[in-house]
Amino acid sequence: MGAYVLRRLGYGVGVVLGVLFLLFLLFFTITAPEDIARKALGDKAPPEAIQTWLENHEYDRPLWPWQDWDENLLFDHYRKMLTFDFGVSDADDSPIIDRIKAGMGPSLSLTVPLLVLGLFVSIPLSLLVAFFRETYIDRMGVFLCVLAMSVSTLLYIIGAQFLIGKVLRWYPISGFDASLAMLPRFLALPVLVGLISGVGGDVRFYRTVFLEESSRDFVRTARAKGAGEARIMIFHVLRNAMIPILTRVVLAIPFLFMGALLLEAFFGIPGLGSMTVDAIQSNDFSTMRTMVYIGSLLFVFGQVATDISYGLVDPRVSVE
Amino acid sequence: MKHEQMSGGHRAVNAGCAKTTLRRAQGGVLSAIRGPSDFASCLLGIGLAIIFSLSACSNDPYPPEDGEAKVLYSSFDAAPRTLDPATAYTTKAHSVTGVVYDTLLKYHFLKRPLELMPGLAVDLPLVTPLEGGRTRYRFTLREDLLFADDDCFELNGEGRRTREIVSADIAFQLMRLADPLIGSPVAETFANIDGFVEFAAALEAYREEDPAFADLAAHEQYAAAGGVRGIEMPSRYVLDITLHRAYPQIKYWFAMEFTTPVPWEAIAYYTGQDGRPRFDDHPVGAGPFVLSEYDKQSRYVLSKNPNWYGVRHPEWKAPAAIFPTEGDEEDRRSGRMAYAGRSLPLIDRVVVVREKESIPRFNKFLQGYYDASGVIKESFDSVIQGDGLSAEMEGLGMRLGKAVSPDVFYIGFNMNDEVVGRSNGESSRKIRQAMSLAVDSEEFLRIFQNGRGVPAQSPLPPGIYGYESGYENTFRRPNIERAKELMTEAGYQNGIDPTTGEALTLTFDTSSTSTAGLNQVRFYTNAWRQLGIDVQIDGTTYNQFQEKLRQGDYQIFQFGWVADYPDPENFLFLLWSKMGKSDFGGPNATNFSDARFDELFVSMKARDNGPQRIAEIEEMLSILERERPWIELFHREDYSLYQGWVKNVKPMGLSIPTYQYRDIDPTSRSDKRKAWNEPVQWPAYLLLLAGVMVIVPGVLTYFKERQ
Repeated sequence: MGAYVLRRLGYGVGVVLGVLFLLFLLFFTITAPEDIARKALGDKAPPEAIQTWLENHEYDRPLWPWQDWDENLLFDHYRKMLTFDFGVSDADDSPIIDRIKAGMGPSLSLTVPLLVLGLFVSIPLSLLVAFFRETYIDRMGVFLCVLAMSVSTLLYIIGAQFLIGKVLRWYPISGFDASLAMLPRFLALPVLVGLISGVGGDVRFYRTVFLEESSRDFVRTARAKGAGEARIMIFHVLRNAMIPILTRVVLAIPFLFMGALLLEAFFGIPGLGSMTVDAIQSNDFSTMRTMVYIGSLLFVFGQVATDISYGLVDPRVSVE
Repeated sequence: MKHEQMSGGHRAVNAGCAKTTLRRAQGGVLSAIRGPSDFASCLLGIGLAIIFSLSACSNDPYPPEDGEAKVLYSSFDAAPRTLDPATAYTTKAHSVTGVVYDTLLKYHFLKRPLELMPGLAVDLPLVTPLEGGRTRYRFTLREDLLFADDDCFELNGEGRRTREIVSADIAFQLMRLADPLIGSPVAETFANIDGFVEFAAALEAYREEDPAFADLAAHEQYAAAGGVRGIEMPSRYVLDITLHRAYPQIKYWFAMEFTTPVPWEAIAYYTGQDGRPRFDDHPVGAGPFVLSEYDKQSRYVLSKNPNWYGVRHPEWKAPAAIFPTEGDEEDRRSGRMAYAGRSLPLIDRVVVVREKESIPRFNKFLQGYYDASGVIKESFDSVIQGDGLSAEMEGLGMRLGKAVSPDVFYIGFNMNDEVVGRSNGESSRKIRQAMSLAVDSEEFLRIFQNGRGVPAQSPLPPGIYGYESGYENTFRRPNIERAKELMTEAGYQNGIDPTTGEALTLTFDTSSTSTAGLNQVRFYTNAWRQLGIDVQIDGTTYNQFQEKLRQGDYQIFQFGWVADYPDPENFLFLLWSKMGKSDFGGPNATNFSDARFDELFVSMKARDNGPQRIAEIEEMLSILERERPWIELFHREDYSLYQGWVKNVKPMGLSIPTYQYRDIDPTSRSDKRKAWNEPVQWPAYLLLLAGVMVIVPGVLTYFKERQ
């Protein structure tokens, strides 16, 4: 087990180092630092101010080690990222780590309910369509799922803001307030939109899993022993379909921290997703670099955690 | 192979655990519901919970306590990069710094054209010409002015953390503008101050030579470097600024936050170390409001500053601390004059919420949750009809504010270019004149700006001294026939270049490479195609374009300029040869150079407003009309919507916030919000009913089969 985890972690380190190199190529060699400076300082900034900005942000050094072994951007990039010294934002000079800390709470307040409620909605729904397999309920369910998957999340957002926020006036169109009294009011609409936009894909996936499980021998045995169909679905099929469900959930958990890009941006939730969108829009390359790096770290972590979790939920699986 | 083994084991394990699971289930959730009656109770409970939560539904984004207070609600799309008054140079930043910091001079709220009046200063500066062409500006500061309470100050005798503002605080800020480490974008303007450049060089040299010097606090470094020769403090409240050359426009800069008093304590304290914020995000000023809450991602709050001189000393009736007593007929008609003489600020707080997307922002304005809004493109036709508001908007009590921005957008020709520039003499002048005649600004505004804007006849926008509303530029009234004649006179009949026998080909450089941006450029190139000229569009990044400008490698481009202050000098300097891009790196991107224009500019720049200045401006405009280094396009017109409960809205054009003059009728706002936002609940009940109709038969069937 330990050797396996170490090996997987080793692969992960390789992936992360590779990602860092690609990031360096993208953010340092393709984009001119002067462009970043001009974006940050505005069009009226004189050349001296641009130069000062480049010096203050350490963009005035040579790129490669062979140009200057001690002071080059490549080594500096690796050193800073690997020691989690993310520096300051190119857009407003604020420490990136502080922004990540501040954005994590709002992101989790949206993504955790979305994950939990998503499971509570999509698993029973997929059990239901699997239960009524090959009937009109199943076909209608699959049709609705495909329809739900085909519609852009953006359309759901605009539609929900218009219908529920503007016409029906049930919840605020957008905004965020972390106080307990106001938080549910602001989260209701984005969570609803997130659920609707995600439920199609989830139900289709879980339905396939449940159908596969329900054709297994143990289901036939249970049926022969007189167990009811509903009981078979809930206590036999669901339990045995835990591995693919778990894979999906454990892989999703690390990304909860990254927030939901579109939902946060359109509903005004000041989370990490919104921060990433801001960084893209304002050419804030240092923040973009950091978010991509953290994303790759979380991905690797998610992969390893998924492998380990198999062993925990299914004693038949041994990780060697 | 491994997968197969796992599946095999699966069956064996499952048989064992199935019984256990069944037994557990008997004591589980399902077993708690023992029959249809229990289920009905459960359903009733869920239904009641849903009905209860629906009755608690509200789209009000604010906590209940905000309802009746005199709070102005506004929005921002992105936080400003910095709130440091030495570097903040955007409208977004000025909407905060403009009220958190106060300045020696202010603009009169109601008078147009804009007029300066004393702010923190007792009076307008006393101007004294000195020998050698130098000029001294003497400002006298009011006594007993206080900074806002802040942790950066020591506790004083009254147990408060503040201190008096003195002239040294303004001198300190001016020295910050010179500091190369700060990188102020306006350092060049203040280089007119005697010894300013030398001070910057001395600072840099000391820092390089002595690391211990660089470790000192900023105010200690400035003192050690000897200060700026042209900035003197004859007394605690008097500040003398000596310019080494004539620059009367300097007075306008003393109405901008760049010259606000800044306490050295704030710079030393807010370093971003030890959990303290940076000065960029924590302004410490002496304005009518303080930034009491600042979350760049979510919202900020400006609260009335109890230390502001207008609040502490209403008896002074200081010009910038009371509502103006002079206004025009429109001010009387709109009811603004009813506020004449009242102490400012009139509201308690300004809550500014982050709203990144324009559609939600506008919808929340329509719901009454924002007090003002721009008009978004998507709703333009339903909001604006003709020149005014639609009947629907008027019915809601909303009002429309229109203001022409003090800006100019133009197409420029590189006068150093061989084809369109000065070296081609009369021929290129005629090409520029013809191209100018082909571009229809009105049509452009109609297509791309919903008709918002004023076609420009000269660089000067309305509201700037020297602007004549009756002035019509001969080459800015579209006339394709005359343009074709000019092309023929230039030697390019039907646009054919005689040297190649093909259409004259020119290049338009643009950094607006979005679809919308390129469509706008195509509007111009299509217009010129009517003359037979083939203008190719060369899309570049802003930085690449700047590089092209530096190298002089361009022919035609489009730029815009927004005024810093309401003086013609701030527009006409864009065509002064000493500001030439290629030779001096200045903002004159056309490299236009005309001896008579330069002579008039230098004279006009140093002259006070009056007939002589007007005559000089008129001659300068006639030179531009003939030479056509620019095709003046338009001056933008901002449309703003205001709720009926917001009083005293009068845009000032420049990026100057006027929160202290605004008033709110909270009762009217509260009533309208309630009336506009009553939730529509019947669809929820319908959904609930539909859910029950789908679920109940299924569950009843389940129980029936089970029995």
